[in-house]
Amino acid sequence: MSSSTTEPATAAATVDVVMPALGTSIAEGTLVEWKVAVGGPVEADAVLCEVSTDKVDSEVPAPCAGVLAEIVVEPGETVEVGTVIARIAAADGSAPSAAPELRRSDHGDGRQIDTAPDRRRWSPVVRRIAAEHGVDLTAVAGSGRGGRVTKRDVLAHLAGGGAQAPAAAEPDERPLHSESPYRPEPAPATEPAPERAPASAPGAAAPPSELGGAQQQLSRMRRAIGTAMRNSLSVAATCTTIVECDMSRVERRRRELGLTALPLVARATIETLRDFPDLNATLDGDTITRYERVHLGIAVSLGDDGLIVPVIHDAQELSPEGLGRRIREIAARARASALRPDEVRGATFTITNPGAHGALIATPVIDVPQVAILDLEAIVRRPVVVTGADGEEAIAIRPMVNLCLSWDHRALDGVCAARFLTALRRRLEGEGRGAG
Amino acid sequence: MESLDRDAGELLTDDDRVGLLRHMLLMRAVEERGLSLYKQGKVPGSFYDGRGQEAISVGATWALAAGDPVCSPLIRDLGAHLVKGTDLTQVFRHYMGRDNEISRGREGNVHFGDRRVGVVGMVSMLPDMMVVAVGLAMAFAMRGERRCALSFFGDGATSRGDWHEAMNWAGLDRLPAIFVMENNQLAYSTPAARQFARNPVERAAAYGVHATTVDGNDVEAVFAAAHDARERALAGAGPTLIEAQTMRMHGHGAHDDARYVDPALLEEWSGRDPIDAYAAKLGKAGVDVAALRAEVQETVAAASAEALRAPMPDPASATTGVFRDGEPDADQLGAGVERWSGFLRLPAAAAA
Amino acid sequence: MAVRTYLQAISDGLREEMRADERVFVMGEDVGAFGGAFKVTDGLLDEFGPARVRDTPIAEAGIVGTAVGAALAGLRPVCEMQFADFVACGFDQLVNVAGKMHYRLGLAVPMTVRLPVGGGFSGGPFHSQNPEAWFMHAPGLKVVAPSTPEDAKGLLSAAIRDPNPVLFLEHKHLYRRVRGEVADGAPPTPLTARVARAGSDLTVIAYGAMVHTALEATTPEALGGASVEVLDLRSLVPLDEAAIVASVAKTSKVVVVDEANATCAAGAQVAALIAERAFEQLDGPVVRVAAPDVPIPFSPPLEQAVLPGTARIQEAVRELLDY
Repeated sequence: MSSSTTEPATAAATVDVVMPALGTSIAEGTLVEWKVAVGGPVEADAVLCEVSTDKVDSEVPAPCAGVLAEIVVEPGETVEVGTVIARIAAADGSAPSAAPELRRSDHGDGRQIDTAPDRRRWSPVVRRIAAEHGVDLTAVAGSGRGGRVTKRDVLAHLAGGGAQAPAAAEPDERPLHSESPYRPEPAPATEPAPERAPASAPGAAAPPSELGGAQQQLSRMRRAIGTAMRNSLSVAATCTTIVECDMSRVERRRRELGLTALPLVARATIETLRDFPDLNATLDGDTITRYERVHLGIAVSLGDDGLIVPVIHDAQELSPEGLGRRIREIAARARASALRPDEVRGATFTITNPGAHGALIATPVIDVPQVAILDLEAIVRRPVVVTGADGEEAIAIRPMVNLCLSWDHRALDGVCAARFLTALRRRLEGEGRGAG
Repeated sequence: MESLDRDAGELLTDDDRVGLLRHMLLMRAVEERGLSLYKQGKVPGSFYDGRGQEAISVGATWALAAGDPVCSPLIRDLGAHLVKGTDLTQVFRHYMGRDNEISRGREGNVHFGDRRVGVVGMVSMLPDMMVVAVGLAMAFAMRGERRCALSFFGDGATSRGDWHEAMNWAGLDRLPAIFVMENNQLAYSTPAARQFARNPVERAAAYGVHATTVDGNDVEAVFAAAHDARERALAGAGPTLIEAQTMRMHGHGAHDDARYVDPALLEEWSGRDPIDAYAAKLGKAGVDVAALRAEVQETVAAASAEALRAPMPDPASATTGVFRDGEPDADQLGAGVERWSGFLRLPAAAAA
Repeated sequence: MAVRTYLQAISDGLREEMRADERVFVMGEDVGAFGGAFKVTDGLLDEFGPARVRDTPIAEAGIVGTAVGAALAGLRPVCEMQFADFVACGFDQLVNVAGKMHYRLGLAVPMTVRLPVGGGFSGGPFHSQNPEAWFMHAPGLKVVAPSTPEDAKGLLSAAIRDPNPVLFLEHKHLYRRVRGEVADGAPPTPLTARVARAGSDLTVIAYGAMVHTALEATTPEALGGASVEVLDLRSLVPLDEAAIVASVAKTSKVVVVDEANATCAAGAQVAALIAERAFEQLDGPVVRVAAPDVPIPFSPPLEQAVLPGTARIQEAVRELLDY
């Protein structure tokens, strides 16, 4: 039904006459002629005026007896339905009383939507249980897909202080946990699932020995790494941005120089950091410190014992060859446990390169108080679309790598991270200044 | 096709006649008042009237006993509501969307029916209610009750499948139903010539349904036809289709000025106004028609004034009553006012 | 107590209600002399006579509309659509007349419409539908869908005694395939859900034939020891929101199964309800298994590919358990 033009409540003395809605789709009417003059007497239901609409012409009867006090709309004027067109000074007792307004019941629910500020992918029930019991979810290891913390995990954490409830037996062959979400199945891994740490422990406590497991205490280094990782993840607002990069140029260059790709990437990174000082920085509480010099941390794997990040101070002074020599050297000393204390402190940016092991994407943990870390994964030959000099597109085989940058959202935004990576990519691919 | 040319004289008393005129006047007055309120912006939605067709709903419903429901009156059939005993103030409140006992604001214009007086309200899909009327008749037959159900519909409604299903079903089982087809020659803007190849009255026999045609502007002829149809139904002879021929004098609704109607046709039929003709006839017989008109005007004015004081419905009530809780009242479809003097005159056994 | 098939239980229910209340009568196509296309009404004509077991013309609008009239007159019609698919011919009378009557006019319409639903036997596009969603969406109509013989009888009793129009979905595939204990003179089944199997790791919500498919698909043996709860909705309007929310709170993972076409099926309403009212209980996305939006095909391999079977339910359950 069309909206009503029910008469509004008015004082008994003056009654409004409105443009009627003559049909459900009529929105306006035109006043044709007044049959009564201002000041003239009016009888109830007598014709006051004629109006015209698209559908029909009609007469408007007076709602009450009295005197025509005011003409508001003149002949020829078109007004919306419901507009007051005249006013009648009602004779005593003849003004129609207004319909009493019923107080509307309040149905507003005012339901609030709970917006937790936490960005991590914990399910609603896991967050709720954690909130109810004051559980720090970063301390709960996940047994769900991709290391997800499940409801069972957090309940088990509450019940047994870390003991993992036995996971439901999986009849299929897919590995449940992994350092990265990459699966051996043919499907290309394009989604970076947020990972606690690239080298995070599986989290399963050793099962009771009745099941045939062998118990072992974690080494001091492993525990230290664990503490550092947990601390980083609880302190930093860790996000990961990934950019694909064509390493053809880097491959050519490194062969010329007799190096691995890492020093070339390191050099390009240092140069790009010049343009993005927000990323070559440390964050302490609310204070961010940006550096002109680049003290580059390079993650070194110590095999089963874990990893360590020695620092090349003033790396900006070194050429790719120089970087290559220094990296080889500190790696050797790291593995020999011969690093000096000041050689593992003071980094402003870190690069990790586990790519030799075959993983395609990772979400590294930031070495706080730095604000970013770059992870270089495996270089894989892939078909890519290239545009020839004539502008035609074709498929070519290229060595591709994922540049994975984890960064602290407390210090910067995704746009900055993406622009940095894109600039790094361009540098490595040979646009603008060469790599190294 | 049988043309009914019966003298209703022996069926009607003077009181009946005055009553018939009064109810036609009431219908006209209520609709004129309603139209005026509509033009003043007090009636939401649209407004429909049955100007010129008053004789049909008044005449036909006059023939019904208290237990014979009307299922349902349509938009030209306000007279059926009034004859059955629907309260005038409630009608105005209903038109204006105010809180009321019949529709509680959930329905508008002539989509209503006060179940307490044996009227089932219409739905917009026509002629759905004809099938429901057949169901009521079926129930009466199953229980061996001397009751019938009456359904109104227009010439246009006969085109839909439900008309066929109702006719076939009622004719097949000889159910006690009365079907009143108001052929007012127009379905909105569609003339009857574009509605059907053969008049439904001609087709009725094919369904096993008795059919008759009357002058829809002659209230006594309509009454007589309905009376006969009721007798036939109660005697187990099955349903009757009554074609009441008339003319729609106003547009389909107040929003329609019916410019597609041949003015000459309107001119001709305005000379056959059912109220004018009957008032003249009764006036000549000594009835004080002027006094009757005045009383009707007063009654209608009072009802509309009272309705204007009624509140709008409470918005909180909008979502209640979708389902019935608990056993329905046995008389949820109640008895209407019994009008025809014949129900009082005849011995109880032979009366309805 | 006796062991009855689902079909026998419906017959028993009809017979008992007709014996107890003379207002109850049956009408539909071929229900009387022939005993019904599926023999549900077999024997009723002999016992109750043609006035109360009425063979009608082929006129679904007529069947539904006259049922409304008879209900208004104080009778209790139990009308049958020979196949649920044909209810479309009576849609207008059901939705516009029966459904809206009480809200508009305060007139109760105590009628029952029996709808043989579902596929799985090469019935093709016009004999295999599950049309419940159309009527869940229409105000004023109740919809029930039993999966066991006991509930078939109990819900039919409830439907007949209800003062409102009730659509009773009897699944053709279950007629003779499912048997169970049915008591004589048992009280009507309430319009609530029932836990078909209790569990703790995940809930499958289903109704009608899919309850049995779900039970079969989710035995602990089939899922390597996982404990899956199966909730049988039984009533779609009214929907047992409390039972749904309680089950989700218990397991935090839910798979909703419809045999019907996926879009806007009953399961879609259940999923929306869960997302709104049990969000904080969820440990994974609300997963749905339903038929794709195609008419149900005739040839067995096509039909099997469309109707959800144990394999599809199992796969969805495994995925979600794994999440």
